[in-house]
Amino acid sequence: MVEYDRNTQQEPNKPALRTCIVGIGGAGSNVLDRITLDRTVDAHLVSMHTDIRVLSHAMAPNKIQLGADLMRGVGAGGDPDLGREAALFSRDEIRKSLEGYDIIFVCVGLGGGTGSGAAPVIAEIAKNTNALVFVTATMPFSFEGRRRLTQAEEALQLLQKRADALILFENNRMGELILPKDGIQKAFSQADQLIAQSLRAVSTIVSMPGLVKLGLDDLTSALSSSNGRCLFGFGEARGQNRGSEALKRALKSPLIDQGRLLHQTMTLLVHIAGGESLTLVEVDAIMKQLGKNVPDQTHILFGVAVDAKLNDAIAVTLISSLGLAQLNAQASAAPPVEMLQHRPAMPARSLASIITPEVAEALPAAAPAPAPAPVLAAVEPPMELFKAEEAPPPPVTAVTAPPPAIEESELFADSFPASQSIAAMADSTDYVEIEEVEISAETEAFSEPEYEAEPEAEYEPESEPAAPVAEQRPRHETRQEEDEAPAPRPTLASVVARGTPLSMDLDAPYAAPPSTVVAKKPVPTEQIAFRFGEDDRGRFKDTEPALVQGEDLDVPTWMRLKRKLRK
Amino acid sequence: MAKTTIYAGLEIGTHKICVVVGEAKRDGTIKILGVGQAPSRGVRKGEIVDFDKVQTCLNDALVRAEDRSDVMIRNVFLGVSGSHIESLNNRGAYRLPEGQTEVTEDDVEEAKEIARNVPIPQENVFLHSVTRQYVVDGQEAVRQPIGREGRLLEADYHIIHGVRSRIQNAIKCVREIPLEVEDVVFNPIAAAQVVLNRDAKNQGSLMIDLGAGTADYVLYEDGMISASGCVPLGGDHISQDLAMALQIPHSRAELVKIAEGSCLYEDVPEDEMLRIEDDNGFVLGEVERAFLNEVIHLRTREILDQVKKRCEQHIGRLAAGVYLTGGTSLLKGIDVVARDVFGMKVTRAGSAPVSGVTSTFENPQYSAPIGLIRYAQILDQEKPFLSPLKRLGRRMADLLSVTVA
Repeated sequence: MVEYDRNTQQEPNKPALRTCIVGIGGAGSNVLDRITLDRTVDAHLVSMHTDIRVLSHAMAPNKIQLGADLMRGVGAGGDPDLGREAALFSRDEIRKSLEGYDIIFVCVGLGGGTGSGAAPVIAEIAKNTNALVFVTATMPFSFEGRRRLTQAEEALQLLQKRADALILFENNRMGELILPKDGIQKAFSQADQLIAQSLRAVSTIVSMPGLVKLGLDDLTSALSSSNGRCLFGFGEARGQNRGSEALKRALKSPLIDQGRLLHQTMTLLVHIAGGESLTLVEVDAIMKQLGKNVPDQTHILFGVAVDAKLNDAIAVTLISSLGLAQLNAQASAAPPVEMLQHRPAMPARSLASIITPEVAEALPAAAPAPAPAPVLAAVEPPMELFKAEEAPPPPVTAVTAPPPAIEESELFADSFPASQSIAAMADSTDYVEIEEVEISAETEAFSEPEYEAEPEAEYEPESEPAAPVAEQRPRHETRQEEDEAPAPRPTLASVVARGTPLSMDLDAPYAAPPSTVVAKKPVPTEQIAFRFGEDDRGRFKDTEPALVQGEDLDVPTWMRLKRKLRK
Repeated sequence: MAKTTIYAGLEIGTHKICVVVGEAKRDGTIKILGVGQAPSRGVRKGEIVDFDKVQTCLNDALVRAEDRSDVMIRNVFLGVSGSHIESLNNRGAYRLPEGQTEVTEDDVEEAKEIARNVPIPQENVFLHSVTRQYVVDGQEAVRQPIGREGRLLEADYHIIHGVRSRIQNAIKCVREIPLEVEDVVFNPIAAAQVVLNRDAKNQGSLMIDLGAGTADYVLYEDGMISASGCVPLGGDHISQDLAMALQIPHSRAELVKIAEGSCLYEDVPEDEMLRIEDDNGFVLGEVERAFLNEVIHLRTREILDQVKKRCEQHIGRLAAGVYLTGGTSLLKGIDVVARDVFGMKVTRAGSAPVSGVTSTFENPQYSAPIGLIRYAQILDQEKPFLSPLKRLGRRMADLLSVTVA
């Protein structure tokens, strides 16, 4: 067994590196809270935020309120410009607190106002104090929306110029840290914990005198891939098999995806730290085991350090980076950020930008084709869209319209005289019914509210002639008929009257080019023989019928009642 | 007497397969040790249509139950249901031999034998024969006739029978897991043991277990079971009606029913619209809430009407009213509809409190499987104490009879 010499640990003539960790914004101060609580890093901790309430709850020993006079203690409200202003406003205070350190870590959650706005300013101030600046940033969850992602990317570019090294975490992948049923709070706190771990590991790696030293240059080269996201794994274990256990835990990190993501990396930084009992055999075993997870051509940057604080534990740290595209290709499980970018409509954009000319053109022409993706995307966040508009249109008009494809629901056809009149009117006006699969008809119907809101005059003329059709509620008509022929039970009649499968707004604004659609024929007036086929039994098709007095109870009650009513 | 027994109840339902592990204590209480549940596939209207799927789901449920309760399950009490199960009441009369004035155990056995000897369809098999009462010389409601003076002893029996092959199929499905089936119990009989208390049974009550596939009912009068049966309609039918009325997938209809559905449509404003979304959150369309509720109402009313029709002759003497249990009884407004149909007090009830997982017994979905535990316990209490030697003798006799048969 090879014993390591402990004298290398502290050289009295060389002063210890002075480290400072700055947390900016909500995410940053959360990470700082975690570090403060864990007491894992020996550093000066500063929490900075525009929002005084968040700041007052932060546990970091030093706090700076950004733009105290400018913001009056209120957060930046998701606006990076405000965040930047606030940081510039308090730059003297920031400089004072950051002076005199060798290494400054800036941790920030990008996407919000304070984080994205203030972080580049603070990084620049930190850089000007001649310290090494590490930025640990998180990219927003994809569900936070396109706008925050854009803000985050802008801030990222600014940070890249100012930081010596940038460690970037993808929040989407953090989601895998936890079980699906766990609360969102846990998701965030786990993410904080992981970032805290990485900060600790990086500061240890850089500052600790190692037997095999890893320096800043190694770290930057491990993180060098363009637009890369950090792959980080940290594992600590003690007891028997502590070496392999620690590595296993490091590989288990979701940011590494069980080591699968390591297959792609070009450079991998491995740091092994252990107590005084660390043996060469253990280091050898860890490296051999790791070799199985890493391709041969990967450049492995290897470091070993002995840290008395670890006692009998071994800590393995893996740091690498991978381009975002590769990452997403690899981890299809994670919500793909890339896919979101293709969508033309996201909540933050104004309505006018959503209905671009191409989309508007594509829509009517697409009637026979399956629903085009842009349409769906445009429909997805209708609420946001309405907010964007100055005068919000009524959500979806509460108008009972004929079923999307009348010929499909023959059941209703003859108890539904309104549809006939609608069809007749449709012939006289521009209103046309598509003989199409229901899906495509429905898809069109969904996107309808946006079209109504569309201010351009292009659609106006078409929507006007169809308006009376929309107002003509079929129920009234049927009610009249009901009066003429007294129904046995009013409930039955009302069910029949409402026999619309799903009342959809198929009517007004949608108008397809005549070439793609066929005008609706009037519904034949004579009664159709009404029989219960196997189809009426739905999912009970293959079961024994439940016959009671000649009635098959598996057939929907409302269907049977309607039949009785007609007799 | 501190001995406790651990039982497992298994219900293969249309919506879920549920295994409940419970500890039956000698003092008559039950402690639920664990519940394992898996969504059910391959069951329609309470009966198994796809063996393989059911076995996969059953395995899931079993593993979960074993996990939670930390008990290895080998024997189960199997709850069955299905439209083929029917019931009837029969009375067997036995005249005591000349010169004998006191009813003895043998006489009771004889009377029982006669009472049980009712013609049922050839392919059917007895599921339960429950003693309702004994009548000694015309005196009704005798619980314990042994030792009484009398000439004529009559035994009143409630007999539940079902198609042999269908019950066998359910047993076979479970045996292949492999699990040993200790007893087969008609679901509502089990559920009634925990839903109805002694008072409710004595005053007269009708319990309806509204499941996904079937509505099972059992009716008690004067503490005696007088009617039981199964209507092959359930929550699945409601969902199906919705699916066909709104032209949406069944799974979606199920969700809409649970989230938004109600049986009450009269007080709903006419123009209140409900947005129906598909799995991805896209809006499929809108529907009037009143229409949705009316479809549900019609079917719910029909289910209850069918139950009423089948136990018509006993209704009207039920002081404790109607008890609704089972998953479909969670539907909003169903109590109002039931009150309208039956014209009496309606209570929605889960299992009576037992110790263990609280959320379990309060949920009416678990009435039947918990009832199975209670049923097992009652069965055990009724069993006469046998010395080990006698028990061995019984077993030998059983074996012999099997070989003879």
